[in-house]
Amino acid sequence: MISVKNLHKSFGKLEVLKGIDCQVQESEVVVVIGPSGSGKSTFLRCLNKLEEPTSGEIIVDGIPLDSEINVNAIRREVGMVFQRFNLFPHMTAIQNVVLAPQIVRKTNKAEARKIGLELLEKVGLSDKADEYPDRLSGGQQQRVAIARALAMKPKIMLFDETTSALDPEMVGEVLAVMKDLAREGMTMVVVTHEMGFAREVGDRVIFMDEGIIMEEGEPNEMFAHPQNPRTQAFLSKIL
Amino acid sequence: MDLNWKSAIDSIPILNKAAVLTLELTAVAVAIGVVIGLLMALARLSKSKVVRAAAIGYIDFFRGTPLLVQIFLVYFLAPKIFHWDTLPNNYQYFAGVLAMGLNSGAYIAEIFRAGIQSIDRGQSEAARSLGMAHSQSMRYVILPQAFKRVIPPLGNEFIALLKDSSLLSIIAIQELFYSGKIIVGRTFQPIPMYITVALYYLVMTQLISQWVSYMERRLGKNDIR
Ligand SMILES: Nc1ncnc2c1ncn2[C@@H]1O[C@H](COP(=O)(O)OP(=O)(O)OP(=O)(O)O)[C@@H](O)[C@H]1O
Ligand SMILES: [Mg+2]
Repeated sequence: MISVKNLHKSFGKLEVLKGIDCQVQESEVVVVIGPSGSGKSTFLRCLNKLEEPTSGEIIVDGIPLDSEINVNAIRREVGMVFQRFNLFPHMTAIQNVVLAPQIVRKTNKAEARKIGLELLEKVGLSDKADEYPDRLSGGQQQRVAIARALAMKPKIMLFDETTSALDPEMVGEVLAVMKDLAREGMTMVVVTHEMGFAREVGDRVIFMDEGIIMEEGEPNEMFAHPQNPRTQAFLSKIL
Repeated sequence: MDLNWKSAIDSIPILNKAAVLTLELTAVAVAIGVVIGLLMALARLSKSKVVRAAAIGYIDFFRGTPLLVQIFLVYFLAPKIFHWDTLPNNYQYFAGVLAMGLNSGAYIAEIFRAGIQSIDRGQSEAARSLGMAHSQSMRYVILPQAFKRVIPPLGNEFIALLKDSSLLSIIAIQELFYSGKIIVGRTFQPIPMYITVALYYLVMTQLISQWVSYMERRLGKNDIR
Protein backbone atom coordinates (compact mmCIF):
# COMPACT_ATOMS: atom_id res chain seq x y z
CA MET A 1 0.00 0.00 0.00
CA ILE A 2 2.85 2.36 0.89
CA SER A 3 6.42 1.86 -0.24
CA VAL A 4 9.15 4.23 0.87
CA LYS A 5 12.70 3.88 -0.40
CA ASN A 6 15.71 5.76 0.87
CA LEU A 7 13.73 8.83 1.89
CA HIS A 8 15.78 11.88 2.82
CA LYS A 9 14.48 15.22 3.99
CA SER A 10 16.44 18.29 5.00
CA PHE A 11 15.28 21.68 6.23
CA GLY A 12 18.12 23.87 5.06
CA LYS A 13 21.23 22.40 6.61
CA LEU A 14 19.32 20.29 9.11
CA GLU A 15 18.91 16.74 7.87
CA VAL A 16 15.80 15.42 9.55
CA LEU A 17 15.24 12.14 7.66
CA LYS A 18 18.39 10.25 6.79
CA GLY A 19 17.26 7.41 4.59
CA ILE A 20 13.97 5.81 5.56
CA ASP A 21 12.91 2.50 4.03
CA CYS A 22 9.49 1.25 4.89
CA GLN A 23 6.66 -0.85 3.48
CA VAL A 24 3.10 -0.78 4.74
CA GLN A 25 0.72 -3.56 3.66
CA GLU A 26 -2.98 -3.19 3.11
CA SER A 27 -4.94 -3.22 6.40
CA GLU A 28 -1.75 -3.00 8.38
CA VAL A 29 -1.57 -0.74 11.43
CA VAL A 30 1.93 0.64 11.84
CA VAL A 31 2.74 2.57 14.98
CA VAL A 32 5.64 5.02 14.88
CA ILE A 33 7.33 5.93 18.14
CA GLY A 34 10.46 7.87 18.99
CA PRO A 35 11.79 10.84 20.91
CA SER A 36 10.74 14.40 20.18
CA GLY A 37 12.48 15.83 17.13
CA SER A 38 13.34 12.42 15.70
CA GLY A 39 11.43 13.16 12.51
CA LYS A 40 8.19 11.23 13.03
CA SER A 41 5.92 14.07 11.93
CA THR A 42 8.18 14.92 9.03
CA PHE A 43 8.06 11.30 7.87
CA LEU A 44 4.27 11.22 8.06
CA ARG A 45 3.97 14.55 6.27
CA CYS A 46 6.17 13.29 3.45
CA LEU A 47 3.66 10.49 2.86
CA ASN A 48 1.03 12.94 1.62
CA LYS A 49 3.52 15.53 0.45
CA LEU A 50 2.78 18.20 2.99
CA GLU A 51 6.57 18.15 3.03
CA GLU A 52 8.59 17.86 -0.15
CA PRO A 53 11.14 15.04 0.23
CA THR A 54 14.71 16.01 -0.58
CA SER A 55 15.31 12.65 -2.22
CA GLY A 56 13.97 9.13 -2.25
CA GLU A 57 10.98 7.34 -3.66
CA ILE A 58 7.48 7.14 -2.26
CA ILE A 59 4.77 5.05 -3.87
CA VAL A 60 1.29 5.14 -2.38
CA ASP A 61 -1.42 2.81 -3.63
CA GLY A 62 0.64 2.16 -6.76
CA ILE A 63 1.03 5.85 -7.59
CA PRO A 64 4.50 7.41 -7.41
CA LEU A 65 4.45 10.70 -5.52
CA ASP A 66 6.15 12.98 -7.98
CA SER A 67 4.03 15.20 -10.19
CA GLU A 68 1.55 17.75 -8.90
CA ILE A 69 -1.40 15.81 -10.36
CA ASN A 70 -0.40 12.69 -8.52
CA VAL A 71 -0.09 14.62 -5.31
CA ASN A 72 -3.71 15.70 -5.40
CA ALA A 73 -4.77 12.19 -6.40
CA ILE A 74 -2.81 10.73 -3.50
CA ARG A 75 -4.14 13.20 -0.99
CA ARG A 76 -7.66 12.13 -1.82
CA GLU A 77 -6.76 8.56 -0.89
CA VAL A 78 -4.75 9.41 2.21
CA GLY A 79 -6.55 10.92 5.18
CA MET A 80 -4.61 12.80 7.81
CA VAL A 81 -5.48 13.70 11.39
CA PHE A 82 -3.41 16.31 13.19
CA GLN A 83 -2.38 16.86 16.75
CA ARG A 84 -4.16 20.21 16.85
CA PHE A 85 -7.36 19.05 15.06
CA ASN A 86 -7.29 21.90 12.51
CA LEU A 87 -11.04 21.93 12.11
CA PHE A 88 -12.34 24.80 9.99
CA PRO A 89 -13.66 27.17 12.70
CA HIS A 90 -16.11 28.98 10.42
CA MET A 91 -18.01 25.79 9.64
CA THR A 92 -20.19 23.50 11.73
CA ALA A 93 -19.16 19.90 12.39
CA ILE A 94 -21.20 18.57 9.48
CA GLN A 95 -19.97 21.32 7.16
CA ASN A 96 -16.40 20.42 8.05
CA VAL A 97 -17.12 16.83 7.12
CA VAL A 98 -18.96 17.41 3.83
CA LEU A 99 -16.80 20.20 2.36
CA ALA A 100 -14.10 18.08 0.73
CA PRO A 101 -16.43 15.38 -0.65
CA GLN A 102 -18.53 18.13 -2.23
CA ILE A 103 -15.82 20.22 -3.82
CA VAL A 104 -13.16 17.59 -4.46
CA ARG A 105 -15.18 14.45 -5.13
CA LYS A 106 -18.16 16.43 -6.50
CA THR A 107 -20.56 14.39 -4.39
CA ASN A 108 -23.98 16.03 -4.50
CA LYS A 109 -25.18 17.90 -1.46
CA ALA A 110 -27.80 15.44 -0.22
CA GLU A 111 -25.55 12.44 -0.67
CA ALA A 112 -22.62 14.20 1.05
CA ARG A 113 -24.81 15.15 3.99
CA LYS A 114 -26.05 11.59 4.33
CA ILE A 115 -22.50 10.24 4.36
CA GLY A 116 -21.47 13.03 6.72
CA LEU A 117 -24.19 12.25 9.24
CA GLU A 118 -23.33 8.55 9.10
CA LEU A 119 -19.71 9.35 9.85
CA LEU A 120 -20.59 11.66 12.73
CA GLU A 121 -22.77 8.87 14.06
CA LYS A 122 -19.85 6.49 13.73
CA VAL A 123 -17.64 8.75 15.86
CA GLY A 124 -20.50 9.22 18.34
CA LEU A 125 -21.34 12.82 17.51
CA SER A 126 -24.60 12.78 15.56
CA ASP A 127 -26.10 15.18 18.11
CA LYS A 128 -23.31 17.71 17.51
CA ALA A 129 -23.64 17.96 13.72
CA ASP A 130 -24.67 21.61 13.74
CA GLU A 131 -22.27 22.84 16.41
CA TYR A 132 -19.30 25.03 15.58
CA PRO A 133 -15.89 23.68 16.63
CA ASP A 134 -15.46 26.21 19.43
CA ARG A 135 -18.51 24.72 21.11
CA LEU A 136 -16.95 21.23 21.12
CA SER A 137 -14.49 19.70 23.56
CA GLY A 138 -11.03 18.71 22.34
CA GLY A 139 -11.98 15.06 22.12
CA GLN A 140 -15.12 15.88 20.18
CA GLN A 141 -13.19 18.13 17.81
CA GLN A 142 -10.69 15.42 17.15
CA ARG A 143 -13.46 12.93 16.42
CA VAL A 144 -14.98 15.39 13.96
CA ALA A 145 -11.54 15.70 12.38
CA ILE A 146 -11.39 11.92 11.98
CA ALA A 147 -14.88 11.91 10.44
CA ARG A 148 -13.80 14.69 8.10
CA ALA A 149 -10.82 12.68 6.89
CA LEU A 150 -12.94 9.54 6.50
CA ALA A 151 -15.49 11.41 4.41
CA MET A 152 -13.06 11.31 1.48
CA LYS A 153 -13.18 7.50 1.74
CA PRO A 154 -9.41 7.25 2.05
CA LYS A 155 -7.59 3.96 1.69
CA ILE A 156 -4.94 5.02 4.18
CA MET A 157 -5.15 7.10 7.35
CA LEU A 158 -2.24 8.96 8.91
CA PHE A 159 -2.47 9.99 12.57
CA ASP A 160 0.07 12.41 14.04
CA GLU A 161 -0.12 12.39 17.83
CA THR A 162 -3.85 12.80 17.64
CA THR A 163 -4.31 12.47 21.39
CA SER A 164 -1.35 14.54 22.63
CA ALA A 165 -3.26 17.81 22.80
CA LEU A 166 -6.17 16.28 24.70
CA ASP A 167 -7.04 16.28 28.36
CA PRO A 168 -6.46 12.77 29.75
CA GLU A 169 -10.15 11.99 30.16
CA MET A 170 -10.72 12.56 26.43
CA VAL A 171 -7.92 10.39 25.12
CA GLY A 172 -9.97 7.22 25.44
CA GLU A 173 -12.86 8.35 23.25
CA VAL A 174 -10.50 9.22 20.38
CA LEU A 175 -8.48 6.04 20.71
CA ALA A 176 -11.71 4.05 20.68
CA VAL A 177 -12.61 5.51 17.29
CA MET A 178 -9.13 4.71 16.00
CA LYS A 179 -9.37 1.15 17.27
CA ASP A 180 -12.68 0.69 15.50
CA LEU A 181 -11.08 1.86 12.28
CA ALA A 182 -8.18 -0.55 12.72
CA ARG A 183 -10.57 -3.44 13.28
CA GLU A 184 -12.48 -2.54 10.14
CA GLY A 185 -9.27 -3.08 8.21
CA MET A 186 -8.14 0.50 7.54
CA THR A 187 -4.49 0.85 6.62
CA MET A 188 -3.06 3.15 9.27
CA VAL A 189 0.21 4.83 10.14
CA VAL A 190 -0.02 6.17 13.67
CA VAL A 191 2.49 8.36 15.48
CA THR A 192 1.64 8.09 19.15
CA HIS A 193 2.92 7.81 22.67
CA GLU A 194 0.00 5.56 23.62
CA MET A 195 1.75 2.23 24.13
CA GLY A 196 -1.48 0.53 25.13
CA PHE A 197 -2.89 1.40 21.73
CA ALA A 198 0.26 0.10 20.03
CA ARG A 199 -0.02 -3.20 21.86
CA GLU A 200 -3.71 -3.65 21.27
CA VAL A 201 -4.09 -2.80 17.59
CA GLY A 202 -0.57 -2.29 16.24
CA ASP A 203 0.65 -4.90 13.79
CA ARG A 204 4.11 -3.43 13.83
CA VAL A 205 6.00 -0.79 15.76
CA ILE A 206 8.68 1.37 14.21
CA PHE A 207 11.14 3.10 16.49
CA MET A 208 12.59 6.23 14.93
CA ASP A 209 15.52 8.19 16.25
CA GLU A 210 17.66 10.88 14.64
CA GLY A 211 15.98 10.47 11.29
CA ILE A 212 16.41 6.76 10.80
CA ILE A 213 14.44 3.66 11.69
CA MET A 214 16.41 2.17 14.55
CA GLU A 215 14.28 -0.87 15.11
CA GLU A 216 10.96 -2.36 14.13
CA GLY A 217 8.94 -5.34 15.14
CA GLU A 218 5.76 -6.83 16.52
CA PRO A 219 4.64 -4.58 19.42
CA ASN A 220 4.56 -7.00 22.35
CA GLU A 221 7.76 -8.65 21.25
CA MET A 222 9.56 -5.34 20.79
CA PHE A 223 8.34 -3.78 24.02
CA ALA A 224 9.38 -6.89 25.94
CA HIS A 225 12.75 -7.43 24.24
CA PRO A 226 14.05 -4.32 22.54
CA GLN A 227 17.33 -5.08 20.77
CA ASN A 228 18.76 -1.63 20.08
CA PRO A 229 20.16 0.26 23.11
CA ARG A 230 18.42 3.45 21.93
CA THR A 231 15.11 1.62 21.84
CA GLN A 232 15.78 0.21 25.29
CA ALA A 233 16.56 3.66 26.68
CA PHE A 234 13.49 5.21 25.07
CA LEU A 235 11.12 2.45 26.16
CA SER A 236 12.40 2.42 29.70
CA LYS A 237 11.41 6.05 29.95
CA ILE A 238 7.86 5.72 28.72
CA LEU A 239 6.68 2.19 29.54
CA MET B 1 -14.22 86.96 17.71
CA ASP B 2 -17.40 87.75 15.84
CA LEU B 3 -18.51 84.71 13.89
CA ASN B 4 -21.43 84.76 11.53
CA TRP B 5 -22.95 81.27 11.52
CA LYS B 6 -25.90 82.14 9.36
CA SER B 7 -24.11 81.47 6.10
CA ALA B 8 -22.97 78.05 7.33
CA ILE B 9 -26.47 77.12 8.51
CA ASP B 10 -28.00 78.26 5.24
CA SER B 11 -25.54 75.99 3.40
CA ILE B 12 -26.67 72.82 5.12
CA PRO B 13 -28.74 71.50 2.18
CA ILE B 14 -25.73 71.95 -0.12
CA LEU B 15 -23.39 70.39 2.39
CA ASN B 16 -25.76 67.45 2.88
CA LYS B 17 -25.68 66.76 -0.82
CA ALA B 18 -21.90 67.10 -0.88
CA ALA B 19 -21.57 64.75 2.08
CA VAL B 20 -23.64 62.10 0.33
CA LEU B 21 -21.49 62.48 -2.76
CA THR B 22 -18.36 62.16 -0.63
CA LEU B 23 -19.68 58.91 0.86
CA GLU B 24 -20.60 57.58 -2.55
CA LEU B 25 -17.22 58.39 -4.07
CA THR B 26 -15.46 56.76 -1.14
CA ALA B 27 -17.68 53.67 -1.22
CA VAL B 28 -17.09 53.12 -4.93
CA ALA B 29 -13.36 53.67 -4.48
CA VAL B 30 -13.21 51.16 -1.63
CA ALA B 31 -15.20 48.65 -3.69
CA ILE B 32 -12.64 49.02 -6.50
CA GLY B 33 -9.91 48.84 -3.87
CA VAL B 34 -11.24 45.59 -2.42
CA VAL B 35 -11.24 43.89 -5.83
CA ILE B 36 -7.77 45.15 -6.71
CA GLY B 37 -6.56 44.49 -3.18
CA LEU B 38 -7.71 40.87 -3.19
CA LEU B 39 -6.08 40.21 -6.56
CA MET B 40 -2.88 41.93 -5.50
CA ALA B 41 -2.77 40.08 -2.18
CA LEU B 42 -3.12 36.74 -3.96
CA ALA B 43 -0.50 37.83 -6.50
CA ARG B 44 1.76 38.91 -3.67
CA LEU B 45 1.54 35.40 -2.21
CA SER B 46 1.88 33.66 -5.58
CA LYS B 47 4.50 31.02 -6.27
CA SER B 48 5.61 32.86 -9.40
CA LYS B 49 8.38 35.35 -8.86
CA VAL B 50 7.23 37.54 -11.75
CA VAL B 51 3.68 37.77 -10.46
CA ARG B 52 4.95 38.54 -6.99
CA ALA B 53 7.31 41.24 -8.24
CA ALA B 54 4.50 42.87 -10.25
CA ALA B 55 2.29 42.99 -7.17
CA ILE B 56 5.06 44.40 -5.02
CA GLY B 57 5.78 47.07 -7.64
CA TYR B 58 2.14 48.09 -7.72
CA ILE B 59 1.79 48.18 -3.96
CA ASP B 60 5.03 50.10 -3.42
CA PHE B 61 4.18 52.66 -6.06
CA PHE B 62 0.74 53.50 -4.73
CA ARG B 63 1.79 53.48 -1.10
CA GLY B 64 5.03 55.31 -1.72
CA THR B 65 3.75 58.30 -3.67
CA PRO B 66 1.26 61.00 -2.60
CA LEU B 67 -2.38 60.45 -3.43
CA LEU B 68 -2.52 64.01 -4.68
CA VAL B 69 0.11 63.23 -7.31
CA GLN B 70 -1.69 60.01 -8.21
CA ILE B 71 -4.93 61.92 -8.74
CA PHE B 72 -3.25 64.25 -11.21
CA LEU B 73 -1.42 61.41 -12.87
CA VAL B 74 -4.60 59.42 -13.42
CA TYR B 75 -6.46 62.56 -14.48
CA PHE B 76 -4.00 63.31 -17.25
CA LEU B 77 -2.97 59.77 -18.11
CA ALA B 78 -6.36 58.04 -18.39
CA PRO B 79 -7.48 59.87 -21.58
CA LYS B 80 -4.21 58.84 -23.25
CA ILE B 81 -4.61 55.21 -22.21
CA PHE B 82 -8.25 55.02 -23.30
CA HIS B 83 -7.59 57.14 -26.43
CA TRP B 84 -10.22 59.72 -25.55
CA ASP B 85 -9.83 62.81 -27.75
CA THR B 86 -12.65 64.62 -26.02
CA LEU B 87 -13.24 63.98 -22.36
CA PRO B 88 -16.58 62.44 -21.37
CA ASN B 89 -19.02 64.49 -19.29
CA ASN B 90 -18.06 64.65 -15.64
CA TYR B 91 -14.75 63.04 -16.49
CA GLN B 92 -13.24 64.29 -13.22
CA TYR B 93 -15.46 61.92 -11.23
CA PHE B 94 -14.25 58.96 -13.21
CA ALA B 95 -10.61 59.97 -12.81
CA GLY B 96 -11.01 60.80 -9.12
CA VAL B 97 -12.69 57.56 -8.14
CA LEU B 98 -10.26 55.55 -10.26
CA ALA B 99 -7.26 57.19 -8.60
CA MET B 100 -8.65 56.62 -5.14
CA GLY B 101 -9.57 53.01 -5.99
CA LEU B 102 -6.09 52.28 -7.35
CA ASN B 103 -4.56 53.86 -4.27
CA SER B 104 -6.72 52.04 -1.75
CA GLY B 105 -6.16 48.79 -3.68
CA ALA B 106 -2.52 48.94 -2.64
CA TYR B 107 -3.35 49.44 1.03
CA ILE B 108 -6.10 46.85 0.98
CA ALA B 109 -3.73 44.36 -0.67
CA GLU B 110 -1.49 44.58 2.36
CA ILE B 111 -4.51 44.26 4.66
CA PHE B 112 -5.64 41.09 2.87
CA ARG B 113 -2.14 39.68 2.78
CA ALA B 114 -1.76 40.14 6.52
CA GLY B 115 -5.22 38.60 7.01
CA ILE B 116 -4.41 35.56 4.89
CA GLN B 117 -1.06 35.07 6.58
CA SER B 118 -2.64 35.35 10.01
CA ILE B 119 -4.63 32.17 9.40
CA ASP B 120 -2.97 29.21 11.06
CA ARG B 121 -0.90 27.07 8.67
CA GLY B 122 -2.74 24.04 9.97
CA GLN B 123 -5.86 25.26 8.16
CA SER B 124 -4.36 25.09 4.69
CA GLU B 125 -2.56 21.87 5.57
CA ALA B 126 -5.85 20.29 6.63
CA ALA B 127 -7.47 21.52 3.42
CA ARG B 128 -4.65 20.31 1.20
CA SER B 129 -4.51 16.95 2.97
CA LEU B 130 -8.19 16.48 2.09
CA GLY B 131 -7.22 16.77 -1.58
CA MET B 132 -8.31 20.37 -2.13
CA ALA B 133 -6.40 22.32 -4.72
CA HIS B 134 -4.65 25.49 -3.59
CA SER B 135 -7.43 27.64 -5.05
CA GLN B 136 -10.15 25.61 -3.32
CA SER B 137 -8.37 25.85 -0.01
CA MET B 138 -8.14 29.63 -0.46
CA ARG B 139 -11.74 30.03 -1.45
CA TYR B 140 -13.48 27.78 1.05
CA VAL B 141 -11.13 27.70 4.01
CA ILE B 142 -8.65 30.57 4.17
CA LEU B 143 -10.45 33.58 2.70
CA PRO B 144 -13.70 33.23 4.67
CA GLN B 145 -11.66 33.30 7.88
CA ALA B 146 -9.36 36.05 6.63
CA PHE B 147 -12.33 38.26 5.64
CA LYS B 148 -13.56 38.34 9.20
CA ARG B 149 -10.18 39.38 10.48
CA VAL B 150 -9.70 42.18 7.97
CA ILE B 151 -12.96 43.96 8.77
CA PRO B 152 -11.41 46.31 11.35
CA PRO B 153 -8.44 47.37 9.19
CA LEU B 154 -10.77 47.64 6.17
CA GLY B 155 -12.93 49.97 8.23
CA ASN B 156 -9.90 52.08 9.02
CA GLU B 157 -9.01 52.19 5.36
CA PHE B 158 -12.53 53.34 4.53
CA ILE B 159 -12.22 56.13 7.09
CA ALA B 160 -8.79 57.18 5.87
CA LEU B 161 -10.04 57.27 2.31
CA LEU B 162 -13.12 59.25 3.27
CA LYS B 163 -10.89 61.93 4.71
CA ASP B 164 -8.49 61.79 1.77
CA SER B 165 -11.39 62.24 -0.64
CA SER B 166 -11.13 65.95 0.21
CA LEU B 167 -8.09 65.90 -2.10
CA LEU B 168 -10.49 65.39 -5.00
CA SER B 169 -11.38 69.07 -4.65
CA ILE B 170 -8.20 69.72 -6.63
CA ILE B 171 -9.85 68.39 -9.80
CA ALA B 172 -13.10 70.27 -9.09
CA ILE B 173 -15.15 67.40 -7.75
CA GLN B 174 -18.02 68.80 -5.72
CA GLU B 175 -17.37 66.80 -2.60
CA LEU B 176 -17.69 68.15 0.90
CA PHE B 177 -14.52 70.19 1.21
CA TYR B 178 -14.82 71.64 -2.30
CA SER B 179 -18.41 72.72 -1.65
CA GLY B 180 -17.38 74.41 1.58
CA LYS B 181 -14.59 76.21 -0.17
CA ILE B 182 -16.87 77.49 -2.91
CA ILE B 183 -19.34 78.81 -0.36
CA VAL B 184 -16.58 80.56 1.57
CA GLY B 185 -15.56 82.28 -1.66
CA ARG B 186 -19.03 83.78 -1.73
CA THR B 187 -19.66 84.53 1.94
CA PHE B 188 -16.15 85.34 3.23
CA GLN B 189 -16.95 83.39 6.42
CA PRO B 190 -14.26 80.69 6.41
CA ILE B 191 -14.22 79.81 10.12
CA PRO B 192 -17.88 78.80 10.65
CA MET B 193 -17.86 76.99 7.32
CA TYR B 194 -14.72 74.94 7.91
CA ILE B 195 -15.85 74.09 11.44
CA THR B 196 -19.12 72.85 9.95
CA VAL B 197 -17.29 70.89 7.25
CA ALA B 198 -15.01 69.34 9.86
CA LEU B 199 -18.07 68.30 11.89
CA TYR B 200 -19.56 66.67 8.81
CA TYR B 201 -16.41 64.58 8.35
CA LEU B 202 -16.33 63.75 12.04
CA VAL B 203 -19.92 62.53 12.09
CA MET B 204 -19.35 60.39 9.00
CA THR B 205 -16.15 58.81 10.30
CA GLN B 206 -17.80 58.12 13.67
CA LEU B 207 -20.78 56.46 12.01
CA ILE B 208 -18.54 54.30 9.88
CA SER B 209 -16.47 53.18 12.81
CA GLN B 210 -19.64 52.28 14.76
CA TRP B 211 -20.90 50.30 11.83
CA VAL B 212 -17.59 48.48 11.48
CA SER B 213 -17.52 47.42 15.11
CA TYR B 214 -21.09 46.23 14.80
CA MET B 215 -20.16 44.11 11.76
CA GLU B 216 -17.12 42.83 13.57
CA ARG B 217 -19.19 41.66 16.50
CA ARG B 218 -21.79 40.07 14.27
CA LEU B 219 -19.35 38.19 12.05
CA GLY B 220 -16.72 37.42 14.66
CA LYS B 221 -18.93 35.13 16.67
CA ASN B 222 -17.57 31.82 15.42
CA ASP B 223 -13.97 32.83 15.12
CA ILE B 224 -11.72 31.09 17.56
CA ARG B 225 -7.98 31.29 18.26
N1 LIG C 1 9.21 23.29 8.60
C1 LIG C 1 10.36 23.07 9.28
N2 LIG C 1 11.42 23.87 9.11
C2 LIG C 1 12.57 23.66 9.78
N3 LIG C 1 12.78 22.65 10.63
C3 LIG C 1 11.75 21.80 10.85
C4 LIG C 1 10.49 21.98 10.18
N4 LIG C 1 9.67 20.98 10.59
C5 LIG C 1 10.37 20.25 11.45
N5 LIG C 1 11.63 20.72 11.61
C6 LIG C 1 12.68 20.13 12.46
O1 LIG C 1 12.82 18.79 12.10
C7 LIG C 1 13.08 18.00 13.24
C8 LIG C 1 12.11 16.86 13.30
O2 LIG C 1 10.81 17.37 13.50
P1 LIG C 1 9.53 16.46 13.59
O3 LIG C 1 8.39 17.37 13.85
O4 LIG C 1 9.45 15.58 12.42
O5 LIG C 1 9.84 15.60 14.89
P2 LIG C 1 8.88 14.66 15.69
O6 LIG C 1 9.55 13.35 15.79
O7 LIG C 1 7.52 14.67 15.10
O8 LIG C 1 8.85 15.33 17.12
P3 LIG C 1 7.64 15.50 18.16
O9 LIG C 1 7.53 14.21 18.91
O10 LIG C 1 8.09 16.63 19.03
O11 LIG C 1 6.41 15.85 17.38
C9 LIG C 1 13.02 18.93 14.42
O12 LIG C 1 14.35 19.26 14.79
C10 LIG C 1 12.31 20.13 13.92
O13 LIG C 1 12.76 21.29 14.56
MG1 LIG D 1 5.62 15.45 15.69
